[in-house]
Amino acid sequence: MAIKFEQVNFSYGAGTTLAQSVLHHVSLEMKTGAITAIIGQTGSGKSTLVQHINGLLKPTSGKVTIDDFELTSKTKEKELVTLRQKVGMVFQFPENQLFANTVIEDVMYAPLNFGSNKEAARSLAEKALTRVGVAESLWMKSPFDLSGGQMRRVAMAGALASDPEVIVMDEPAAGLDPKGQKELLNLVLELKKLGKTVVFISHQMDHVIHVADKVIVMHDGEVSAETTPQELFNRDINWFKEMRLDLPKAGQFSEKLEKAGIKLSRRPLTVDELADLINKEIDHE
Amino acid sequence: MTKAIKINNLNYNYNEDHTLFEDFNLSIEEGQWVALVGHNGSGKSTLAKLILGLMVANSGKICVFDEQLTTDTVYHVREQIGMVFQNPDNQFVGATVADDVAFGLENKQIPNKEMAKTIDEALAVVGMQDFKNREPHTLSGGQKQRVALASVLALKPKIIILDEATAMLDPDGRDTVMRTLKLLKAQFGSELTLITITHDMDEAALADRVVVINDGQLILDGEPEDVFKQTNLIHENGLELPFSAELVASLQHKPKHYLNERELIQWLSNLNK
Repeated sequence: MAIKFEQVNFSYGAGTTLAQSVLHHVSLEMKTGAITAIIGQTGSGKSTLVQHINGLLKPTSGKVTIDDFELTSKTKEKELVTLRQKVGMVFQFPENQLFANTVIEDVMYAPLNFGSNKEAARSLAEKALTRVGVAESLWMKSPFDLSGGQMRRVAMAGALASDPEVIVMDEPAAGLDPKGQKELLNLVLELKKLGKTVVFISHQMDHVIHVADKVIVMHDGEVSAETTPQELFNRDINWFKEMRLDLPKAGQFSEKLEKAGIKLSRRPLTVDELADLINKEIDHE
Repeated sequence: MTKAIKINNLNYNYNEDHTLFEDFNLSIEEGQWVALVGHNGSGKSTLAKLILGLMVANSGKICVFDEQLTTDTVYHVREQIGMVFQNPDNQFVGATVADDVAFGLENKQIPNKEMAKTIDEALAVVGMQDFKNREPHTLSGGQKQRVALASVLALKPKIIILDEATAMLDPDGRDTVMRTLKLLKAQFGSELTLITITHDMDEAALADRVVVINDGQLILDGEPEDVFKQTNLIHENGLELPFSAELVASLQHKPKHYLNERELIQWLSNLNK
């Protein structure tokens, strides 16, 4: 499912004296079956942007096309049901989207809502919980008794259970431990293999370089770059300073090396590339 | 030396078939900065809650400055410990930043005259004095956590526990909070015991001592450079090394012991000469 934004403007409280313009002339495209990362400093409009993908927010002007669904300021609430069936959403603090008495009931909620019978919903929920690595021993527990990382997984399962074609995740890795982060990145890659379109917001450039096919940079409500991670992270360092963005850790390290008088032949983007360059280019005597 | 916290033979079960801590022992010296490290669900936050008396152990002894934690002493123990939690939005009560810092002081019935000064001092320590009259919700995550830290500092605790206080922040926010902690430690020295609960090893590397726990077991305990030598154990317990150590693991020529990022850059530039 390709996602296309055309000249999208969005204001909170549009039409009132308190209107606050957040997105300005946003045009972009996210390809079907690809992983798109959205980066930008806090307050740049990333969350507002992705909430247009499942119609949680509607453009004040302009148009968002999700496959054959057109979302504009005139789209009616009841039309949004078909869109939400296609787009699963994991919010920034997924723990806040849990509500049911047991883990399994929580995950069954979406399939039941979209018309599955109880038996089918249960089997979908079990499949989703297994996919995100929630042990069966936890399925009958209250979601509120789980650790932060486990809650995160249950919320993810909830978004995946109705088998949406697009999965949108707002900072899914925040608060996860290193192992949980690795598992999350593997899940993202696995979803891509299943043909899903994945959109995720991240502050961790190492994650972006690891999984994303495409990266969109938001700055003050505008798209300031739409490119591949490789092209982006090879841009001039001053551009990153202006956008107040970081390089991946390996790139940051090589910038510091350069300040200490060691210039590597190119900018490494992963720790392996960095080690490789140091092994080859720094004289060991 | 006085022990800020002493835990002896601690036992704690979530329920009948899930034991978390079994004969757990840990002592923390007064004035130490200890990073308590473990993956999600390893028991590190539970340990903090047990120390604060927010949860009650099945058996064993917890002492804070030689005072044993019991139902009679719990309030006195809590007065000496300040805690900053993960989600900055869940810990605000005041309409302005200054009001928020005042909340804890009002609870302690500090006279109004003293209060203004204490609030100013606490906000100055974390570099938030210019935001005194701002509404908390207009602050960034890193700023919110610094205000939360100021609210705790105003009460002049001897121990501060930060429970994954940077986990939800963007890199900018994380840096400012870590810088603030370093300043705090430099300013208060041995008068402040700091416990940072984290799964980020780059953060843990800043502490005097790193304690790794998993499933309520003590896995590693020592100075950062000794703990970071145990690459396999760290990885087996769902954690990573600090970036500089991950890099060193793939280098042909390695320094003899753990170096932080700044030291490693220095070491590499000496190699290059």
